Amino acid sequence: MAANYWASTQRRHWLFTRERLAEIRESFKEKDKAAHSQFPLPDQRLLNIYFNQQLIKLGKRMATRQQALATAQVYIKRYYTKNEIRNTNPYLVLTTAFYLACKMEECPQHIRFVVGEARGLWPEFIAPDVSKVGECEFSLISEMQAQMIVHHPYRTLSELQPELSLTSDEIALAWSVINDHYLTDLSLLYPPHVIAVMAVIVAVVFKPSSQTGFHGSAAPIAGAMRDGGMNILAALGDKGGAGPPPRIQKLIAWLAESEVDIKAVIESTQELVSLYEVWEQYSEKNCKELLGRLVKSKSLDK
Amino acid sequence: MTSRQPTSTSSSSSLLDIVSNLVSPKSLLFNAQHATPPSLPSQRAPTMDKSQQPSSFQQLEKLGEGTYATVFKGRNRQTGELVALKEIHLDSEEGTPSTAIREISLMKELKHESIVSLYDVIHTENKLMLVFEYMDKDLKKYMDTRGDRGQLDQATIKSFMHQLMSGIAFCHDNRVLHRDLKPQNLLINKKGQLKLGDFGLARAFGIPVNTFSNEVVTLWYRAPDVLLGSRTYNTSIDIWSAGCIMAELYTGRPLFPGTTNEDQLQKIFRLMGTPSERSWPGISQLPEYRPNFHVYATQDLGLILPQIDPLGLDLLNRMLQLRPELRIDAHGALQHPWFHDLPQLQAQLQQQQQQQQMAAGYGGMMPPQQTY
Repeated sequence: MAANYWASTQRRHWLFTRERLAEIRESFKEKDKAAHSQFPLPDQRLLNIYFNQQLIKLGKRMATRQQALATAQVYIKRYYTKNEIRNTNPYLVLTTAFYLACKMEECPQHIRFVVGEARGLWPEFIAPDVSKVGECEFSLISEMQAQMIVHHPYRTLSELQPELSLTSDEIALAWSVINDHYLTDLSLLYPPHVIAVMAVIVAVVFKPSSQTGFHGSAAPIAGAMRDGGMNILAALGDKGGAGPPPRIQKLIAWLAESEVDIKAVIESTQELVSLYEVWEQYSEKNCKELLGRLVKSKSLDK
Repeated sequence: MTSRQPTSTSSSSSLLDIVSNLVSPKSLLFNAQHATPPSLPSQRAPTMDKSQQPSSFQQLEKLGEGTYATVFKGRNRQTGELVALKEIHLDSEEGTPSTAIREISLMKELKHESIVSLYDVIHTENKLMLVFEYMDKDLKKYMDTRGDRGQLDQATIKSFMHQLMSGIAFCHDNRVLHRDLKPQNLLINKKGQLKLGDFGLARAFGIPVNTFSNEVVTLWYRAPDVLLGSRTYNTSIDIWSAGCIMAELYTGRPLFPGTTNEDQLQKIFRLMGTPSERSWPGISQLPEYRPNFHVYATQDLGLILPQIDPLGLDLLNRMLQLRPELRIDAHGALQHPWFHDLPQLQAQLQQQQQQQQMAAGYGGMMPPQQTY
């Protein structure tokens, strides 16, 4: 969150192409085919949903900022580009990423408290010995080459608010879209401003009319999505078109003028959409069982 | 930095929580493509940075105790280059200290000629070693040894101030507050370079947060707004510290050597005048504000700094504004006319240094021991 994104370690060291990311993961598989067939794991995004839900539970009784949860999720992703998940105790990695992220985002928690909370949630996977988290923290810092400052899209979003005169509803929607993007690989693939712009587009285009409001009812949003239809993409190529409503036209005009990488924005929107699609298959029980079997069979919690 | 997050933005909700029955928009809108994985082996680095080992450095004498670490002089065994080795002891109770984590992570991002370089982070069983660029001494020691009772000459002061302000400007441009600027944290090398060090208390001010800890900045260099309990301080706190340091370069003594929070405020008011709601709207809302502050009139800073020239005094006054909004910013300071003759002064300084180095070099050529 600090320093200049363009000169940041995030941009220089933690931005991958899709191909590179796939290569890394494939190489883990190549290295230990047996473990991969013995311990199948859910789709990465489903695992991310599980991790995120566990993180939220972990942070529940501590005054944790959303930004710390976001940073923790990025740490977990970075860590698993360097380490095969099947060689780790994901519950320990999760706890440690949370602990380290809280330090970085200036809402530090005492190690005993964090370990206590983690043990309350996953007693069979977290040892009472706090030094395990200390050691794992070392490993996290080390694998990330001490490059721990994460630039998040939240800041760009608050900068865009006045510029695009976003309503508080739109901001809330965009904020939750940003929350969701951590469930995908997007934070390893695109700069934070691309994600923020994507979130704004999703929020503005998906947003129901201000009269209906979105609270408690999904129907207007679904309707808006169908109507608005994300013709925004088509409209970008056809600026003279009379298709979308004025609010969206304004956004399109802004986008066209900005130097944001539109292709990246579109790709990240697609990624998000496919996240929502795969979400339908999510089963907490399934994630829990598969991870539990992995950790216990390989004694990774020892 | 001034905008506040909307209240909803602290939530960790997913879009799906809001739109619980949303049909998948994909079929309506896109042909989403999932990444398809080809393959290539990955490479893993075993240590934090490259593959440096602690044994790559010869540990020489101890230089001092930092906020959370011991600093040694060191020598790179391969290149012979001098370095500063900051050894951080790990506490099993708190893992790696937050200050160390903050410093390391910020130093990884901030690369500038007026900021001490972090070359490497080496970790061993139970300690963390930060390898920094070697600097000869801190500004405090430099003043004690070089100056005339701590006072420095005009050219050196101007050169140091310019370097200090460009280091600060770079931090601020990168949205980093140092928060602990003081002569002990400014490092000087033989080339007359000044660099900001010790980022243990620095913080990033990425997203607006209204609750910065107000327990920062050594008392003497602490800005009045922080002393008054403001928790919404910003880059201007570093400017105040820089102003205090500038005055100290002239006199050799700290400008406001307070002993407690109240005493510190009093020392500031005695010289700068006691602020009021009229001179500083909103001041009475600050937690540590007292309506019964002793009322002092504003003094002329020039009286206690007889050596300072009018332009220097003007810059100093702009840095030492009580109201944070009125303080000059780092770029403004660098543009100040006081710095206009710096290039000429620097040329003179360089000449002096060359002469000194030649003298020192001559001394260095003498055999270390003359036993015969």
